[in-house]
Amino acid sequence: MSIATALPTAVTGHPPVDPSSLRDKVAIRNLEFFYGQSKALKGITLPLYENKVTAFIGPSGCGKSTLLRVLNRMYDLYPNQHAEGQVQFDGINIVEPGLDLNLLRARIGMVFQKPTPFPMSIYENIAFGIRLYEKLSKRDLDQRVEQSLRRAALWDEVKDKLNANGLSLSGGQQQRLCIARTVAVRPEVILFDEPCSALDPISTAKIEELIFELKEDYTIVIVTHNMQQAARVSDYTAFMYLGELVEFGPTDKIFTSPTDRRTQDYITGRFG
Amino acid sequence: MDLAIYNSRRRRNVVATAASYGATGVGLAGLAMILIVLFWEGFSGLSLAVFTEMTPPPGSAGGLLNAIVGSILMTVIAIAIGTPIGMLAGTYLAEYGRHDKVSSVVRFINDILLSAPSIVVGLFIYEVMVVPMGHFSGIAGAVALSVIVIPVVVRTTEDMLMLVPNTLREAAASIGLPRSLMIRHIAYRAARSGIITGILLAVARISGETAPLLFTALNNQFYSHNLNAPMSSLPVVIFQFALSPYEDWQKLAWTGALIITISVLALSIIARALTGTRKAS
Amino acid sequence: MVDVTWGGARVGAQDATERAKALNKLRLGDVIFHAVTRSAALLVLLLLGGVMVALFLGSLPALTTFGFDFVTTQSWNPVTEKFGALAPIYGTLITSFIAMLIAVPFGLLIAMFLTELCPMWLRRPIGIAIELLAGIPSIIYGIWGLFVLAPFLQQYVQPALIATFGNVPVLSSLFAGPPYGIGVLTASLILAIMVLPFVTSISRDVFDAVPPVLKEAAYGLGCSTWEVMRYVVLPYTRVGVIGGVMLGLGRALGETMAVTFVIGNAHKISSSLLAPGTTISATIANEFTEAVGDLYTSSLIALGLILFVITFIVLAIARYMLLRIEKRVG
Repeated sequence: MSIATALPTAVTGHPPVDPSSLRDKVAIRNLEFFYGQSKALKGITLPLYENKVTAFIGPSGCGKSTLLRVLNRMYDLYPNQHAEGQVQFDGINIVEPGLDLNLLRARIGMVFQKPTPFPMSIYENIAFGIRLYEKLSKRDLDQRVEQSLRRAALWDEVKDKLNANGLSLSGGQQQRLCIARTVAVRPEVILFDEPCSALDPISTAKIEELIFELKEDYTIVIVTHNMQQAARVSDYTAFMYLGELVEFGPTDKIFTSPTDRRTQDYITGRFG
Repeated sequence: MDLAIYNSRRRRNVVATAASYGATGVGLAGLAMILIVLFWEGFSGLSLAVFTEMTPPPGSAGGLLNAIVGSILMTVIAIAIGTPIGMLAGTYLAEYGRHDKVSSVVRFINDILLSAPSIVVGLFIYEVMVVPMGHFSGIAGAVALSVIVIPVVVRTTEDMLMLVPNTLREAAASIGLPRSLMIRHIAYRAARSGIITGILLAVARISGETAPLLFTALNNQFYSHNLNAPMSSLPVVIFQFALSPYEDWQKLAWTGALIITISVLALSIIARALTGTRKAS
Repeated sequence: MVDVTWGGARVGAQDATERAKALNKLRLGDVIFHAVTRSAALLVLLLLGGVMVALFLGSLPALTTFGFDFVTTQSWNPVTEKFGALAPIYGTLITSFIAMLIAVPFGLLIAMFLTELCPMWLRRPIGIAIELLAGIPSIIYGIWGLFVLAPFLQQYVQPALIATFGNVPVLSSLFAGPPYGIGVLTASLILAIMVLPFVTSISRDVFDAVPPVLKEAAYGLGCSTWEVMRYVVLPYTRVGVIGGVMLGLGRALGETMAVTFVIGNAHKISSSLLAPGTTISATIANEFTEAVGDLYTSSLIALGLILFVITFIVLAIARYMLLRIEKRVG
């Protein structure tokens, strides 16, 4: 079964408030990950709820970025890394071989720690991804580019210089350009890998605001080493330590009354 | 502190330091001498005739037109053949086969080909093209030059592509971009100025190559752009004229040498300027 | 902040299959591109193989006729068709050896100057000048050697050498004979100038790669510049320097045009460095187009094969050593 025939589920209007109607957009079950022979992720099981923001937190080296990069099979670019277990996305286990990775990555997008605009104009950065999948007239393409830039709260700042090189923008603007590029391809899930760690506080605030709005239409997963950011931005939090999932739950609960001792220690700054 | 030891140490340092200043001075003086003589002798023979008239028989006036045209023609073809092959091979080494065994072997062999004696390349093409064809030809000369171009372009393409950060590749993958498109639209574009520099360096390299042409393209006294016949080239003409006892031929040889040197220097400067601007951005 | 209705935030069913179709079309391009680049890479291997095979086949007539004697015979007689490679091989080796003898100390000293003694603002210009030396085509060196260096040596240097060493027991035979101007020594000098930039650049690069803390520790103890070079930098960079020297040697062995102009082209081994001689590449360059008869041509190709094998070995050792240094640093 190809991932194309497993159709994405549609959502009408605003997400329901009732927690019992929480839907799993992605369900991770017993996921193990290996760098060569050494195991980096041990038996991870957790759900990623639709239209919610889930944060992965934990000290350096706990595996949160590794886990994030499993979700869009980014590790496939490197020879010695492989994963075992299940990551269910729309009825398919995306960890299994034989999957159309390009199609998967069109549905699960990623924003990286370091802003990486393509070496092209601002317009081209966005249009490039769109053209990959659709044949649009110039007018429609212009419209889509504008929509994506508005979605990333960048339109007003660049609308007069769409032909300028993407690298001529400031760091915060470049990162928003990358977000615009990601949403232009119309994914369902967006993964953020420490998106603000290379940015100044004001750009960080803008992007956090953006994430809050984006969750209306997308399922968001964010890896962050900044606990306050996790508390501000996310609905659900997963605390990881040494490759294991220690605790998962609603953000309020994790930060006010965590169940596990280790979570408590990390939150209060005893380590990490 | 033992003064004798200290003094002998000091002396040794002075000698070594003086020697290194001296060596540098001699090296620079040598370069200056070569360039000065080249410009002096070459300039005196420089005139419009050099660019408009063909190589003359000894004792009459003439120019270097057929040699210049032949050189340009064969260089262009060599670049046209060698650059795509070199770029594709370099792309494989940097993008697809970065870690596999085949790539290590190819890299090793390529580096050896890079410094191999160019006269051997001439012999090789003689055996595989001139002998079966039954005659010398400009195209054989161009192919011989392309064999020299390929390793240069492979090396520079691979080096430049390796400089492209992996995060850029991941960003392309994250929107579902297939590998080949990522390479062609993102990686090539990011490494563009470096790759062009590599091509310019290859041109500079083959501009002065004589040995590979000696028994592939041979030489031609008259103007010709027939690739299927012997073709004249600047380096070979210089070789022939300089070793001759005729003064006007020798003069033309100097002028030809000057033309080659200026072209090579100009190409190197342009290549350097390109890498310079890339670093600045 | 944003209230644009995002028409189609969700990818509908039709769009998904369209997307899959678009990606499928691109997949074929992906496979083809991969195959094409791989073939190009393998072509490089084929080139080397082709060169070796072509040279071998071309030299077979000569090798089967003369056998091992080919390498030990000095006489080279196109008339009687008796060819021996000893003189060219000797010439190649001796000119390269002397060239390295001159170029290596010079190159190391210049590299030392550039990395330790040279004022900052001067470093780049001099570095560029050295690279310019490397970029000048060898035929320019040849013509300069013939018209400038050789007469100069003939008029001033060689008579002086002959006079100075005339009575010294062993060295007199080394510097004997009429001052031709051209000859083995002249060719070696030209080669030295050509190899110098290579040795200098590579030495300079490996010298620069020495961690500053190592040098600072030595300077901190009161070491002089020379002592830092000798006891810290050179031992640390030993493998890289040797690699660079081998690379220069590989170049010198294969150099054709510069040598052809000034070596004198005599198929003779003389004890004097001032006498004319020949090298493998000079022999091939001078005689190939005039060679009549299959055996003559084949002998020249056999010479080419010998040269290729020698340079291959030297370059392989050089690359191996430079690889070791890269592994250590990177």
